Parts: sequence; structure tokens; C-alpha cells
Amino acid sequence: MRVVIAIIGTGFAAYGGWLALSRQDVGQLVEVGLWLAAGGLAHDGVVAGLVLVVALLGRRLLPSAAQAPATIALIVWGSTSLAVLPVLGRFGARSDNPTLLDRPYLTSWLALTAATVVVVVLVSAWRARRCDDSAPTTGED
Amino acid sequence: MISPPAPEHFTSRLRSPTVAARVGVWLGVAFTLCFVTGLISHYAQLPSHPIPWPTSPSWGYRLTQGLHVSSGLAAIPLLLVKLWAVYPRLFERLPLRAPGRLALAGLERGSIGVLVAASVFQLATGVLNAAQWYPWREFSFRTTHYALAWVSIGALALHIAVKLPVIRDVLARPIDDTTHDRPTAVTPGPLTRRGLVRVTFVAAGVLTVLTAGSTVPALRRISLFGVRSGRGPAGIPINKSARAAVVTASATSADYRLSLVVDGTPVRELTLAELRALPQVTHTLPIACVEGWSASGEWHGVTVRDLLALAGVPAGTDVIVTSLQEHGAFRRTSLPGNVAADPRTLLALGLNGEPLALDHGYPARLIAPNRPGVLQTKWVSSLEVTT
Repeated sequence: MRVVIAIIGTGFAAYGGWLALSRQDVGQLVEVGLWLAAGGLAHDGVVAGLVLVVALLGRRLLPSAAQAPATIALIVWGSTSLAVLPVLGRFGARSDNPTLLDRPYLTSWLALTAATVVVVVLVSAWRARRCDDSAPTTGED
Repeated sequence: MISPPAPEHFTSRLRSPTVAARVGVWLGVAFTLCFVTGLISHYAQLPSHPIPWPTSPSWGYRLTQGLHVSSGLAAIPLLLVKLWAVYPRLFERLPLRAPGRLALAGLERGSIGVLVAASVFQLATGVLNAAQWYPWREFSFRTTHYALAWVSIGALALHIAVKLPVIRDVLARPIDDTTHDRPTAVTPGPLTRRGLVRVTFVAAGVLTVLTAGSTVPALRRISLFGVRSGRGPAGIPINKSARAAVVTASATSADYRLSLVVDGTPVRELTLAELRALPQVTHTLPIACVEGWSASGEWHGVTVRDLLALAGVPAGTDVIVTSLQEHGAFRRTSLPGNVAADPRTLLALGLNGEPLALDHGYPARLIAPNRPGVLQTKWVSSLEVTT
């Protein structure tokens, strides 16, 4: 079973490699290679590095009641922000086509960010209060 | 002295194979769905089809291409969390002193490097293409996205084959099991493992809802980041404007004629008034763009079948549709016989009760059921057949 999947996988990947190599000139291939390398580095260096720094700061600076809500917010807000980056600046907009990229993306993103912060603060405050209320009982353990 | 990063420096117990496998299963599902729908899209765009491309259901391509873009977007949070869970392994030392093991480890690391680079490339270029932003100079999106789709799905299959025993084992065990964990992965995180997996699925869902309104009308109001709001002339967005296609003068000229060409000879030339005088039909058909947005409209005009009959051509003949556009990859498209024969395949003259807007292809455009948007030729100047 594993061998069959491995052979099929290698075959597909090799076919894709052949397609890429045979249908483009050297200049195009160099650019694709650069983009591939940049994509890997962008994740392993920049995105993963940023997450490490944010997690470290969060652990040091945030009260314990805020840690879980902030983590949830980081995953949902962070991955959404990364995915919608190309529309935020409306980089592909064209003056001759008002139907393309026709929403207020930056305003929406700012509103989403503000809403995320508000929800994290409210949930953290509620969790902190709940912990305080239950402190005497847990304190006896 | 600061030592280089090593797996043991990462202590969160959330970075576990039990998490990676559970998120990975759904990442695999998303990638497979994206790959299959991508192949369907490429097949649909072939000039001729070994197995005829069906015209029903009329919304088939709208569905598969909507799924293509949505599954690609949903894969972004899944990929990010999956890579986060296995990130420490990037810093594993290679067994430099054992050549046999080094070769194997090198192969595995190499295949994962290919998988990660190709996956990031596919998701990034796909998202950029949907937003019609092309910040590269040389390569063709279509060719490269297609080739690297095979690379990424192949590398994924190879990765699954290598990891299958671990995947099976961790999926059979409870999520909090530590059998396969790194020895230092012991620090509790802010979430439970189950919590992390659930939040990842929620992120995938949120991102889908915030973008899918470009193709799902019910989500239009809440899809804050959809590339289209759905507005446009006669209530339908456009992709290429008349100005961009440089057809404004020829499309609005009083000299406009639709040529019916048989074996290289024009057999009929019809003015717009003559086209309007032919029997008119109305059909509700979607325009579904390869970039993932779609919208349904009520198109009215003359059936291509009737036009071919006027030229004395039997139904079922392949047709070459030519636009007034003088440049562009899709100025001439091939309309397979089975599509040309479908009674819903129209040379549309109007949309949603209005005459066709210039940007929708005035004076006449092709609209056929279950056909990729790029092949729904606008500003049609001739229909050609070879008998």
C-alpha cells in the first residue's frame, strides 16, 4: 500500500516537474524557482518566526486569562489576514473595471481587527472574573 | 553563545504528531479537492475533448471552480497550523556519519521541502490570481499553477506514504497521547490539543465564509473579502472591459455584422437588427470565471443552433467563435459540437431584461451552459464551421 502510494506520488511529482520544465523558457523557470524558494523561506523564516516572537511576547505579557482567547484570535485573525493580503491593497484593481475588487477591503479588515481585539479583551475580562469568583474554592485544593 | 535552533528547544505539547495528523487529514482533503477541481477546469478549457464535456448541469463548472478556490483558501489556515505543529522537525540534525541513513533522511527532507515550497506557491499564486494581481514578470500563471499542482499533490502522496505508519498510529490513539511526541514537548499550551484542532477548522470556515460570496449569492453580504460584490452592468460583474479588449469602436460601429462562415466562405452576414428579428429565447445561465467568481443571469438572444441552421450546417458541428478583439489568448475559442447543439447555448443580445452592456459583450456574446467564463466569448464577430 505505502509503496503504491509512494510510486504514484513520485510519478505525479515527476510529471509536474516535466510539465514545468518543458513548457517554459529558462527565464520563466528561474523566476518560478525564485518564487518557490521565496515561498518556503517566507513561511519557515518570516511567518513561523513572527509566530514564535508573538507567542513568546504573549506568554510573557498577557495575563493568563487572556492567553487562550488571544491564541484563538491569532489563529483565526492571523490566517485570515494573510490570505486576504492581496485584496487589502486592491493591487489588481483596474480603472476600466469597477466590478473587480469592489469592496472596502481595508476598512473591513480594520473593523475585523478591532472586533477581534474587543472580543479578546471582553472574553479575557470575563474569564479573569470567573477565576477570581472561584478562587476561594480552588484555593482550598 | 547562542546555539542554533534544535527540536528540543520547542517545548509546547501542542506541536505533536497527534495534532499534525488530525489537521493533516483535512489539509489532504482540501488539497485533493483543489487538485481534482483544478484538473476539471483544465479539461473544460481544452479546445476539444476526448470525452465530450457535458452541458448539464449548467452550474457544474460554477460549482467545481467555486470549490477549487474555496478549498484552496480553506487550506491556508490548515497548512499554517500543520506546519506550525511540525516546525521543530525543520531543525533536526542530519545523521552525517551514517551515509545510508543520511541519504534516506536527505531524500525525505528534500521531498518535504518540495511539498512545502510547492504548496505555498500554489496557495499564494491561486489567491493572487483570484485577486487578479500578478506581481511576477515572466512565468505564465496557468502553465505553472497546473504543473506545480502535480508536483504538490505528488509530493503530498509521497509524504503520506512515508508517514503512513505514524499517521495510522496517532489517529488510532487519543489526541492527548504522547507516544510519538518529542521528549521535550511537555509544556502545556494556552489551548488543549483538541481546542487547537477545532480552532483551525473554525479559521478555515471563517476564511471561506468571508471570501465565498464572490460565488455564493447568499454569502455576498458577509463576504467582506470576496473579490467581487456581485454588482455590475445588469447586475453581473465583468472580467474584461471593452476598453481593455480595445473593441469599443468596432463593437459600437454601425457596420457591425455577424459572419457565418462555412469552410472558409462567409455564407451569411447579419446586422444586429437582423439578429434581433430572429426567434429569441431566454435562459438562466451562470457566468463562472476561472478565477472563482460566478453569477447567474437571465440571458436572451438567438440560439447558436438556429444560427448554424441558417448557414445550412447540421446541429452537432464544432464551431470556432471569434471576437472583435484583435489580441488576447481567448479571442478565438472552440465550441464543441455537443455544446453548440444545446438549445441553451446562445448568442446573447441581452441580459436581465436589458440590452447587452458594452462590457458584457455588446452587440452579441456567447453564453453556453457549464462552460468556463474565459470561453464565453464576448463581442462575437463570426461563427465558423468546417464541414
